[in-house]
Amino acid sequence: MRRQILCFSTQITQNNCFKTSPLIRFLSTQEAIDRRYHLFTLEKKRQAEKIGRIEKIEVQYKGIPNDCTLVMNKGISTPYDCARHLSEWHVDTSALALLDGTVYWDMHRPLEENCTLELQNFTVPEPQQVNRAFWRTCSYMLGACAAVAFKDTVPVKLHSFPGPDIRSGSFIYDVDLPTLGDWSPSHQELVTLGAEYVKLIQKNEPLERLEVSEELALEMFVDNEHKTKQIPSIARNNGKVTLYKVGKHVDISKGPMISHTGQIGRVSVVSVHKLNGSTNSDLKQLYRFQGVALPTGVIINHFAFSILTERAKKLNTAKSPISKVTEPEESESIAMKA
Amino acid sequence: MNQAEVSKLVSKLRIPVPPRHRNLRCPKGPEGRIDKLRKTVTGLIKFERIELNYNRADEARQYAERLISEAIRNGDCHKPTMDTADFWLLEKELIHKLFKVLVPRYENTNLSFTRLYQAPKPQVARRLEKVVLELRGNPYPDLLNRNTNNKLLIQNVLLEAAKNDYRQSKVSEIAKNIGKGQNTPKVKSSTADPEIESPKNS
Repeated sequence: MRRQILCFSTQITQNNCFKTSPLIRFLSTQEAIDRRYHLFTLEKKRQAEKIGRIEKIEVQYKGIPNDCTLVMNKGISTPYDCARHLSEWHVDTSALALLDGTVYWDMHRPLEENCTLELQNFTVPEPQQVNRAFWRTCSYMLGACAAVAFKDTVPVKLHSFPGPDIRSGSFIYDVDLPTLGDWSPSHQELVTLGAEYVKLIQKNEPLERLEVSEELALEMFVDNEHKTKQIPSIARNNGKVTLYKVGKHVDISKGPMISHTGQIGRVSVVSVHKLNGSTNSDLKQLYRFQGVALPTGVIINHFAFSILTERAKKLNTAKSPISKVTEPEESESIAMKA
Repeated sequence: MNQAEVSKLVSKLRIPVPPRHRNLRCPKGPEGRIDKLRKTVTGLIKFERIELNYNRADEARQYAERLISEAIRNGDCHKPTMDTADFWLLEKELIHKLFKVLVPRYENTNLSFTRLYQAPKPQVARRLEKVVLELRGNPYPDLLNRNTNNKLLIQNVLLEAAKNDYRQSKVSEIAKNIGKGQNTPKVKSSTADPEIESPKNS
């Protein structure tokens, strides 16, 4: 496997076309994660080297403590770097950046031109977009958690997660567990999943964003047939696929996402439901993982939180990617929304 | 048995009062301590929000509370109260403020008159505990940013949705019961009909 990675790394560094060599192999989930992580870091490095000569841009910062102008590096500096010029409080609490008053930008996405910058945390007067980014990140992290929580003998194939809907009461990730035909998790298993989630949060990893070409994305997700089916439709518009990385986990999402995992505070994974597909499709069933979370610093009464968890236990009515009516294209569109 | 009821002599303060006074370090001894506290109480009444060390703030807070409490109980025509105010307030125009501004402000409240917040500590410095002492109802912006009433905050969105969900479930339950109430006579009539018909058949 290592040799194959090296082979690909040379291909990427030379920026050759990515011919998918006959990689019919059976990677364990962990090996697949490692491989994806490796390709991600190489591609990120390649894109960083491609910048060449460094140009300067002016960023007009608006907000606490006072408005000021920051001179940053084009294509390298991120809103996160701007926050680091301001204070530790800005770094810790800012979840999303608002450019020119209209565009919501990830904290770890390089700035590309002169702009005005506002940093948004969870207590701004109009936090809808921040909340959506938070919910999306929670779904994404649930996938990361499900990918590492199972034993090596249980292959985990992440399918997709729909766009964030906070009013539904729970964030979800649809996962394919081919060897577990009929599984309903015990209370202990749910607690274990929640513990894995908390472990991921405590690592305090940044959520890194990267846009890659369709070929590379296909190569990265070669072990996951659901993602490989979704990628062409996602890349239909501009041939790019947006990937996010946290720790070693890489997944497809439209974004934007919050700054780092430490901003997820109280969380619990509450239920896993079985979704049944139509009998004639190749995918018979999926498991829908559901959870509920609040940002760091939101203090809520335990009774109120128990109401939220009780509600989140019900099956989330978001559209199932394999329901009888939906065609494969629609399932891809669900993945696109995420 | 013959002791007077203490609660009638001295009003009960709404802050925790330790059994013994706190010594403040001062070369002049007890008088110096009282001087310090007079300055602090004067500053508190004047500026309504001050930042200082915890010991002195907590000690001065008790005297300030007592002063305001006495002023509310006795009013400005009571000689001993006026003398106390004269002693504790070094700037004499503050006596007017005490009786004309603060007494009406706190007359009908059932909370303490002052608040004590812990101030943020510097990261690398001598760790003296700093606090902020303020009068309630002061004109400054709130120190705690608690805009928790914003409906768009994520916890409020979630709770609101949960509330709606609960209401819907209740309404549907009621609707079901109504349906049952209508159904039961139908069932009765349907059972009644065969009885009527059965004689005809027979």
